[in-house]
Amino acid sequence: MVMLDTEIERLKHTVPTRDLSVELLPEIRATLPVQFPELSDAVERSDHVVDAANGVVVRVHRPRGIEGAVPCVYSIHGGGYIRGTYDMDDAKFDRWCPTYGIVGVSVEYRLAPETPYPGPLEDCYAGLKWTYDNAAEIGIDPDKIGITGVSAGGGLCAALALLARDRDEVPLQFQLLDCPMLDDRQITPSSQIDDLVIWTKQTNAFGWQCYLGDLYGTDDVPYTAAAARTEDLSGLPEAYVCVGGADGFRDEDITYAMRLYGAGVPAELHVYPGGPHGVGLFPQTQIAQRYAADREDWLRRQLARMG
Amino acid sequence: MATVALHEEIEPLKDMVPLTVINAEVLPELRGMQLGEPPELSDAVDRTDHVVDEANGVVVRVHRKVGSEGDLPCVYSIHGGGYILGSYEMDDAKFDSWCPKYGIVGVSVEYRLSPETPYPGPLEDCYAGLKWTYDNADELGIDRDKIGITGVSAGGGLCAALALLARDRGEVPLQFQLLDCPMLDDRQITPSSQLDDLIIWSRESNAFGWQSYLGDLYGTDDVPYTASPARAEDLSGLPDAYVCIGGADGFRDEDITYAMRLYGAGVPTELHVYPGAPHGVALFSHLEIAQRYSADQEDWLRRQLERLG
Repeated sequence: MVMLDTEIERLKHTVPTRDLSVELLPEIRATLPVQFPELSDAVERSDHVVDAANGVVVRVHRPRGIEGAVPCVYSIHGGGYIRGTYDMDDAKFDRWCPTYGIVGVSVEYRLAPETPYPGPLEDCYAGLKWTYDNAAEIGIDPDKIGITGVSAGGGLCAALALLARDRDEVPLQFQLLDCPMLDDRQITPSSQIDDLVIWTKQTNAFGWQCYLGDLYGTDDVPYTAAAARTEDLSGLPEAYVCVGGADGFRDEDITYAMRLYGAGVPAELHVYPGGPHGVGLFPQTQIAQRYAADREDWLRRQLARMG
Repeated sequence: MATVALHEEIEPLKDMVPLTVINAEVLPELRGMQLGEPPELSDAVDRTDHVVDEANGVVVRVHRKVGSEGDLPCVYSIHGGGYILGSYEMDDAKFDSWCPKYGIVGVSVEYRLSPETPYPGPLEDCYAGLKWTYDNADELGIDRDKIGITGVSAGGGLCAALALLARDRGEVPLQFQLLDCPMLDDRQITPSSQLDDLIIWSRESNAFGWQSYLGDLYGTDDVPYTASPARAEDLSGLPDAYVCIGGADGFRDEDITYAMRLYGAGVPTELHVYPGAPHGVALFSHLEIAQRYSADQEDWLRRQLERLG
């Protein structure tokens, strides 16, 4: 049993919880996970093909009228590895780019089960590498790139930080992990809660099965597929981890933050009691506003730190 | 040697904190030392002392906004100091700010210190003060169904233990527990508790604090969970919790683990971990990181009081 925030409890029927399956996937993919808001004219958006064969595209969001090389936030959308598009990041960068003077880059990566690991992660890496290599053309300071992602995008973000460390081609300054999906094993107490809303135990198992394919349920899952399995977390960029107390990812996310610390990586951690997975789907609630404000405050401080 | 990075604001100030090891030799001198200038207190708050247990010298100080009427929520506070240092005066400044701002009655308790009084004496003193507050709620103008507790460091450890004891005894209902960098685990088994370069509260000071508090129990398997709440197996039935801790605090891992275990027992728990913040980050009150640390804590308190109505 898990207790929801009182405001969320009242609103939870507005975002139906369903156990996802292969049968439901086409219908779910055709439904927008969020209402796309009107975008402002303050940000210019341009799409760039990174890998034509695999259909990898990045969208560059740049505030109009800003000159010179600015910091970059590279973003990976969520959707359990099985749904979602880079359009989901438009609204975020419409606000963030002018507010923080950054260039936002969102990546359209291939989805599972059609493309299991490592395809989606390699797409994210290809987009990041392209961004780094083309920094001068798109007006980015290549030494001021940070990455972010929500849910499965947070899982991909944590994995991308590991991969970037290992390959040593693109230096990253920070990783903002928003309720990240990190652990395929579902061994923590919170991952086994029966009455999770938005993202249930069954849906989570389905997402991981799709993403891992034949690796699912084996001991051969690489740490770049499920970041919670990583033994060596040293040498990673500064991290922010936020998660709701009523999110099945709660324990894996807290544990990951604690382990980052153990490896000497500064990790700001905030856990919001009563917050379900995807608390941002209830933007009118106080808890969602605090959740978003704390995250942005950290982003602001990271950008200030980089100068 | 395992080390931890301090926040860039703290790093240049760390030499302001002279002592790295507290032990039996320096304890008398430390107790005699003034911990900074005593704060200027306003006239907005009335402070009255009440003897709870004369034989043991247990006193509570009741802080109430001048002119406030009716039954108010109460925050019961336990000062820090590693079980071996400190006094209830350390809570005066906090309640000088909180009582008018949040419309609460503050109660701070003067409990006996270790090693002179080992467990369970200090905890029983805290319990006696809480019970007295509950029993005298009408006289004090406190709504007895709106009592929460708080504590910093060893006060946070005592606070967590007091929540367990109050649950077990079933005499005083508690609505929340605010655990500020609590000292919870005598075993020093976590990675952060073994860091070599902790400032303010070193590994050695921590061992000395626990030795003093636990006496003959120290280092044994017989330490009760009301002495060291990290050992509690059953955390169910506890009030809503807030846990905040610095990333450069030796208590980091025990506090994160306690918060995670509270969740596991169904206790709503807000957790905030601040990278680079050492133990007692609030001592650096002019820094942005300390201000965030305090603001988040007060925001939670405000929401708890709102919830209680």
